[in-house]
Amino acid sequence: MPKLYGYAGKILRVDLTKRRVHVAELDRGLAVQFLGGRGFNSKVLYDGVGPHTDPLGPENRLIFATGPLVGTMFPTACRFNVSAKSPLTGILGDSNAGGHFAAELKFAGYDQVILEGRSREPLYLFINDGEVEFGDASHLWGKDVYETDEMIRADLGDRRIQTAIVGPAAERGVRYAGIYANLMRAAARTGMGTVMASKGVKALVVRGTGSIEVADPRRFEEIVEEVEEEIYGHEQYWPRRRMGTTRILMMANRAGFLPTRHYTSGIFEYAEEVSGERLAEEYNVKTRGCFACTIPCSRFYVVKEGRFAGLYGEGPEYEALGSFTARVGNRDLDLALKANDMCNRLGLDALTTAECISWAMELYEKGLLTREEADGLDLSWGNGEAILTLIEKIAQREGFGDVLADGSRAAAEKLERGLELTMQVKGLDIIMADPRGLKGFGLGYAVASRGGDHLRSEPFIELSDDPRRGLEMFGVPEATLRLAYRGKGKLVSYFEDWCAVIDALEVCKNIMENMEILPFERAAEVIEAATGLSLSASEVRLVGERIVNLERAFNVREGIRRKDDSLPRRFREETLPEGPSSGTVFEQEPMLDEYYAERGWDRETGIPRRGTLERLGLEYVVEDLERLGVTPP
Amino acid sequence: MRRILVDAVKCAGCRYCEMLCSFHHEGKFSPSLSRVTVIKEDRYGLDYPVLCHQCDPCPSVEACPTGALRRTELGVISLDEEACIGCGRCVEACPYDAVKLDKASRPLICDLCGGDPLCVKRCPTGALTFTEAEVEFEKPEEAFRAILRRWGIDA
Repeated sequence: MPKLYGYAGKILRVDLTKRRVHVAELDRGLAVQFLGGRGFNSKVLYDGVGPHTDPLGPENRLIFATGPLVGTMFPTACRFNVSAKSPLTGILGDSNAGGHFAAELKFAGYDQVILEGRSREPLYLFINDGEVEFGDASHLWGKDVYETDEMIRADLGDRRIQTAIVGPAAERGVRYAGIYANLMRAAARTGMGTVMASKGVKALVVRGTGSIEVADPRRFEEIVEEVEEEIYGHEQYWPRRRMGTTRILMMANRAGFLPTRHYTSGIFEYAEEVSGERLAEEYNVKTRGCFACTIPCSRFYVVKEGRFAGLYGEGPEYEALGSFTARVGNRDLDLALKANDMCNRLGLDALTTAECISWAMELYEKGLLTREEADGLDLSWGNGEAILTLIEKIAQREGFGDVLADGSRAAAEKLERGLELTMQVKGLDIIMADPRGLKGFGLGYAVASRGGDHLRSEPFIELSDDPRRGLEMFGVPEATLRLAYRGKGKLVSYFEDWCAVIDALEVCKNIMENMEILPFERAAEVIEAATGLSLSASEVRLVGERIVNLERAFNVREGIRRKDDSLPRRFREETLPEGPSSGTVFEQEPMLDEYYAERGWDRETGIPRRGTLERLGLEYVVEDLERLGVTPP
Repeated sequence: MRRILVDAVKCAGCRYCEMLCSFHHEGKFSPSLSRVTVIKEDRYGLDYPVLCHQCDPCPSVEACPTGALRRTELGVISLDEEACIGCGRCVEACPYDAVKLDKASRPLICDLCGGDPLCVKRCPTGALTFTEAEVEFEKPEEAFRAILRRWGIDA
């Protein structure tokens, strides 16, 4: 068997209950079928975490994986996925982050780390050039992300370690706590930090001095140079360098789909005051980048005056910025920076935190929630004090914060009201783009395997509103018109497959997908040059399709059906009051029909058909679903 | 004497230089095999590529007991691997921590890629320049202190 290049070549399994470590060689078949990252994780999750597993019990697995290009100079190859059954949604959970953690893990010798069981004593895992040490974390329990990082660095006497840390919110079982690399690179969504803390793990620490070799260095270098040049010449290069994803805020506002006051409007009248442009002008002092990124887009900011003078940090990205401004009706940019900083330190998903607060604000404004129920807080739109207080209360699970700490869906169930007003799909809160103004994005939220999120498909091309693209790519001009419906099934399934490949390779979606730098053809070329695995462009797409189907099967096993692929009623029945996205609702059913047909899933139930699974080499999934009495038709 | 100068405010800490350096000298990707090492302080958003200052005379060359390290006619430092005994005196002698040993105790020392350093040519943010000018800060910590002062951060 020829050598597998690009990968570190080893998978680490840690039994936290027995404190036992097992190292396995990376299986070539697994690499061919799933490539890496999210693909590897979803495979382990499907195979190892059966239906009805308690997400916070020892049987759940928490899995970190990175990809075959990470630890090389392929631009933006730096990311990792962390996956488990989600305590927020009860279905497949995963989150992805950049920074420098993943590359270090490769240099330490591993492509994937699987955590099983549960430690009785708080610990941190130190993966040091292949060796695993169990460090005592009792002194770190209760510390925030920043404090923990500093204490571990001091304990180990090494400043070149990389850390992935959970904060106090995770320890208290807030169901949307994240995992933080490089302090501010958050794998925030679906409560992966909550799972980590439930296993007694405060941090994963890595240090590696190994190296990564590629199969064809000359060809690899050629591809890297092509990619570098294309990135530098791209029209999005400077806007991204200057503003990162925060450039989206004004774009969304102009197109009228910036979620404002809990999606009651698509235009925020104070958008300019809280824009990426203003951040860049008045606050940003330095660019920062993830590992091997040639278009570093993170920004270090300093608040120079006012009440929060002296506040500094990295980011925020668009989702957090928009969430703590337009979504909650807040026009104070400094306060939004403070809210984001608190989320990072406490270890909370900023987006879900803001949705919980924003939902409570809408109930309050509508008279469905009293001031007494909200611990005496005035939850009027944009009340900054209330926002900051609630963040702290959520993280500590204190008073009304405890009601919100299980997510908006659970909060509505607890209060027995407002469920229809929670802006979530399958328990995961929808991102900062109103689906009424972006029908393909909306379809993506409806069907995404981790719930209401855009990063599974992100069909950015819809923003072009250029029918020629739709015609050329899908034979349907409407596919790339943002307010049209036809062709969206094709659009979303294509982009889902693409995003799955991007996540398997653990490169940056912003650059490789949004900027169209890594289409399937080039992905095939770089996979071959890096790993030696020879796959055609269509086979690469098939990997994406396989990942999407396996994740769907995981969720089907948990009871997910077509009825769950649904956006909140507001989007389906109410129109936006003003602007270029007004006057139109989100008509979901025809798009779903088209999407299932495109996917080869049953139209009635949304279950992948037998033939579809077999075509993808997932025969064992067919058997599995048959055993459970969920026979694919 | 031309040397590589660092603009620590421009450096984004992406470590592309480390990857370029190890790949072009060793044929593989590894920060541990790179002649440049980026120091990072995430909390303060600081990054600094530690690299050879091209001192003349070079203390590491002078400390080499076998003559394995020498400065060539072109002004770059070269290593005669046959003559190197892996004693590590070059590492101790470098005042800027810019020399390290690989796992076989071979010194990794900047050779300016023969006179046209790749880290400069391909730095994504233009943080490195190859110039006659004098080094502004002797140590990364000095650069960090100056930057934080400018930003008004009390560290």
